[in-house]
Amino acid sequence: MKTKNNTLLYILFITFFAILLPAGYLTGLLSVNTISVWGRYFCFAIAALGIDLIWGYTGILSMCQAFFFCLGSYGIAMHLLLKKTVASGATLPDFMAWNKIDTLPFFWQPFHSFGWSIVLCLLIPAAFAFIVGLVLFRSRIKGVYMAIITQALTLAMWLIFLRNETNLGGTNGITDFNTILGYPLSSSSVKLALYLLSLSMLCAAYYCCYRITHSKFGKVLQAIRDSESRVSYTAYKVTDYKLAVFVVAALLAAVGGMLYLPQTGIITPGRMDVKASVEMVMWVALGGRGNLKGAVIGALLVNFLYSICTSLFPDSWLFILGFLFVITVLYFDKGFMGLGDTIRKKFSATRLKTSQTH
Amino acid sequence: MLLNVNNLSVSFGGVHALNLDRFSLRDKELRVIIGPNGAGKSTFLDIICGKTKADKGEITFNGKSILGKSEVKIAEAGIGRKFQKPSVFPGLTVYDNLLLAAKMKKDIFTSLFFKSTPALEEKIHEVAVKLSLTNVMYKPAGDLSHGQKQWLEIAIVVLQDPTLMLIDEPAAGMSDEETEKTGNLLLELSKSHSIIVIEHDMKFVEQIANELVTVLVRGKRLMEGTFAEVKNDQRVIDCYLGRTNAQLETL
Amino acid sequence: MRTSLLRMLMCCLLLPLFSAGQDSASIYTAQLLQPPADSVRTQAIGRLAALRIPATFPLLMAINDKKLYLLDNKAVTINSDSSSKGTYQLYSLYPNNTLLINSSGQPLLLPLSALKTVDIPRADRLLLAGIAPLLNLFSNDPQKRILAYSQLKHTSDSITLRILKAALAKESNADALRTGKDALYAIQLYKASSATNANAYIDSIADNWSDNAPALLRDYARSGFLNQETAQYAAAKAVLLEKRYDNLQRVQHFFSGLSLGSILVLIALGLSIVYGLAGIINMAHGEFMMIGAYTTYCTQLLFTKALGIPQTDLFFFFALPFSFLMAGSLGWILERLVIRHLYAKPLESLLATWGVSLILIQTARLLFGDLTAVKTPQLLSGGWQVSPHLTLPYNRIFIIVLAMLMVLFTYLMLYRTRLGLQIRSVTQNRQMSACLGIETRRVASITFFIGSGLAGLAGCAITLIGNVVPDMGQTYIVDSFLVVVTGGVGKLAGTIVSGLGIGFFTKLSESFFQAVYGKVFILMFIMLFMQYKPKGLFPDKGRIAED
Repeated sequence: MKTKNNTLLYILFITFFAILLPAGYLTGLLSVNTISVWGRYFCFAIAALGIDLIWGYTGILSMCQAFFFCLGSYGIAMHLLLKKTVASGATLPDFMAWNKIDTLPFFWQPFHSFGWSIVLCLLIPAAFAFIVGLVLFRSRIKGVYMAIITQALTLAMWLIFLRNETNLGGTNGITDFNTILGYPLSSSSVKLALYLLSLSMLCAAYYCCYRITHSKFGKVLQAIRDSESRVSYTAYKVTDYKLAVFVVAALLAAVGGMLYLPQTGIITPGRMDVKASVEMVMWVALGGRGNLKGAVIGALLVNFLYSICTSLFPDSWLFILGFLFVITVLYFDKGFMGLGDTIRKKFSATRLKTSQTH
Repeated sequence: MLLNVNNLSVSFGGVHALNLDRFSLRDKELRVIIGPNGAGKSTFLDIICGKTKADKGEITFNGKSILGKSEVKIAEAGIGRKFQKPSVFPGLTVYDNLLLAAKMKKDIFTSLFFKSTPALEEKIHEVAVKLSLTNVMYKPAGDLSHGQKQWLEIAIVVLQDPTLMLIDEPAAGMSDEETEKTGNLLLELSKSHSIIVIEHDMKFVEQIANELVTVLVRGKRLMEGTFAEVKNDQRVIDCYLGRTNAQLETL
Repeated sequence: MRTSLLRMLMCCLLLPLFSAGQDSASIYTAQLLQPPADSVRTQAIGRLAALRIPATFPLLMAINDKKLYLLDNKAVTINSDSSSKGTYQLYSLYPNNTLLINSSGQPLLLPLSALKTVDIPRADRLLLAGIAPLLNLFSNDPQKRILAYSQLKHTSDSITLRILKAALAKESNADALRTGKDALYAIQLYKASSATNANAYIDSIADNWSDNAPALLRDYARSGFLNQETAQYAAAKAVLLEKRYDNLQRVQHFFSGLSLGSILVLIALGLSIVYGLAGIINMAHGEFMMIGAYTTYCTQLLFTKALGIPQTDLFFFFALPFSFLMAGSLGWILERLVIRHLYAKPLESLLATWGVSLILIQTARLLFGDLTAVKTPQLLSGGWQVSPHLTLPYNRIFIIVLAMLMVLFTYLMLYRTRLGLQIRSVTQNRQMSACLGIETRRVASITFFIGSGLAGLAGCAITLIGNVVPDMGQTYIVDSFLVVVTGGVGKLAGTIVSGLGIGFFTKLSESFFQAVYGKVFILMFIMLFMQYKPKGLFPDKGRIAED
């Protein structure tokens, strides 16, 4: 019964996004921007999968996923900007020239090459997650402490990225690219290609996460969530497992960020401020944590809602989001995916009560 | 001797929770520790399994010092622990609980590419039968009754196959029938494992204490002897009476 | 003391010299205002410029600035800053330079149309170019005077010295006086002929201690000194001054650290109690601070607009209890509606209260717009000038005192009242407390009321040092959570120690690095600290500590 439901859901998802949407564009019913917007949501969904792994399955609330997302985006952005700068014959990106820098900072150098950029975009978040995770997990910082420290970490990084002297574009971020691997970013077919790439990366990420959560590894993660001490007394090295899943989650966020950048054409530190990092967690909470489908649907739904609400009634978006937060946490702790279950449980509870009164 | 303890002490905020001069355990011995509330029994087990850090002293297990090692290192060395309050994985099914406990390599990559084998399934099934868990095998452990959770935790420890089992109040919350069954199980396990049991239920203690019983009072070792010796010792009786626990007197 | 001596000195020395020139100055002034011919005026201005009589400088200044007017045939000038509704304050120019007042003793205010403008041709004004720097010594603007004084340092003719002394005699601004004396002593120091004199002037410069003093002394030590001995003396004094300055800077840093720490303690106090008691991570705590700040703003509006008493500090002292009650009540409502369902679920409560904070911020934005500010009460503006280079602002002192009082209040409440006993017992063991007949829910509501109220009070205090903006709570929330985490949850002493510690540390690291890197540094430090104390400064031990 359950697997049948799942298969149906997968087929619906693939049909809608891989066939109907592109078909709509090719027949001219949908604009290329709509396609591109959904491509961006897929990137968020990839990051959301990572959050679901670390929070939903392992019970570690990491608030620095937004930062990992931005690390991926910034890496690609640096590459694209360098390509453009070199093509226009300049030696330095414009904003550096304005800041009176005369040589390219050393950490920009490797981003001349696309291959190195990809490697670094994955390596840096992974290394960062590894070091932070090692420090935090070794000293058994967990729960709220973990959430607050990772939040503070994101805040600190945000402040650093805001500065001009870190040579990452400051408040304005990095923007104004024209080509990726030689193809113009503004062309419709490139946008469609990026959309399809994002979709397939989402599917691949989903498949990987599915395999992870259904392996014994995934069961250990859930066991850590349930009773961390019991896991260590059963001779599992909890720190290793936490560290592994933290790094995987960081990688997923970074991949999302990497795909996100060419589709929006701008990355600013605003993507990783306190608000953004809590919001990312909220996608998963709304969709249903501990449930991979929930994470994906949550990310897509919240962002879709965001785009609708901000255009229809811009002032009330924060109200809507705020109420969604509160109501989800209070009444639907299993999120959107658990909606059916929750209602059924409530319904049967009331039925039980009425039958008892009879 | 499998386990040797010397001059072990720990205090919480000035109160000496434990101050144990000497304690040793033979291989394949079943030792029962009794004592009134706050005698430091659970604290003693907590220190052995690495949950609590001792202030000073030494503990050797199999000739190696284990004091100050992490819980995982101690568990790997072959010590398994059942807690007073059942500690299982409520979100996982009983089967998954047992699978995770089963003795095997427990690093990340083994877990990631783990495939179950018939031998393992057989072993899990065998333990589940022994502890009457077969008909709840695919229920989430959180939905079990208190007694079932106790048994599940014992099953977890059994599947871990440790050299030394630390069992904290296994009979709490069980019916007489279940208690006796638990006792028989412990006796059977003691043929192949060393076991330390903490218990208050004197009937249960009488059932399983074929060898020595250690009495702890206010963190110190009051005496060690057979159940009959302990039962008739005036100091022990005084201690328990002082604590309004009249069980010993009635026996 | 020194000023009055100086004045006496000048009276004795200068008056006989001046009296001869004074008469001719009156003649030239009269000629200048009503010239029989243009050439007479030109000559009069030229003479006045050459005479350099300080009493005529305000008049010449007015000519130079093209602000010379006649009122009833007397020369006046206007204060261009204080125009209200097109009217200006007026100053007479010669022989006395004073503010004109009307019959009721208020400053006389007149529009330009009531005055007769005196036009002096550009060629005539150029005659004053040579003494323009000296004229500025008599400007109405203290900043201009300070600039003029500081430019004087290396001119040393006796007339300039005389004018400088005249200017200093009527100097009213403390900063300008210090700069002016600096100039005077420097001129005299360079002219000093004996080592005793030189040393005396060096001492004077050091005692006067302007910002420039160390540089001045070093310059003297390097060149133009009388002999090796005075040079060494000057250099030693310079080093001494710099050392004293550094010490004062340290005190200043210490003080700002204390004040930042106090704010953090004020905010974290409520946060810590609530978290300890109910296991709630209240992300909306910062918003209660914001509510407190807006309550203060509204109280100000109420006093100035509705009650019509604008010139009073009273509003602020009403705002203190108002903001406590307002934030407390809203906190109480929030507890009833949302928090109550989330006890002992810290991560869930974190998300739900974040939602609440979004709603509160947006509400504030819709109600009040993006930026408002509360006027600092007169009583708390300014500062306690401990020494010329160390001023402790009253508003920050107030915040520190307020924080101390609140800590005391919280301590007494927690450890000396029945409610406090209940709060502590619920914090340690909710079930057991309930079994003992403590209404845990009521205790939780009251605690939440107090916690939010404390945040409101912090918000009220913060209006003294910053603007009131809808998302002001966000600035402090992460920091105050760090305080809670470092101090250990629900521990009063831990909160205070870590709050002050983080405050000090932030300011201290800001004096080494830039603010941002200071913050990163603090975070690294806290992460390392938690390696050793993962449960905060004062962890529980034994069985209570079990999770």
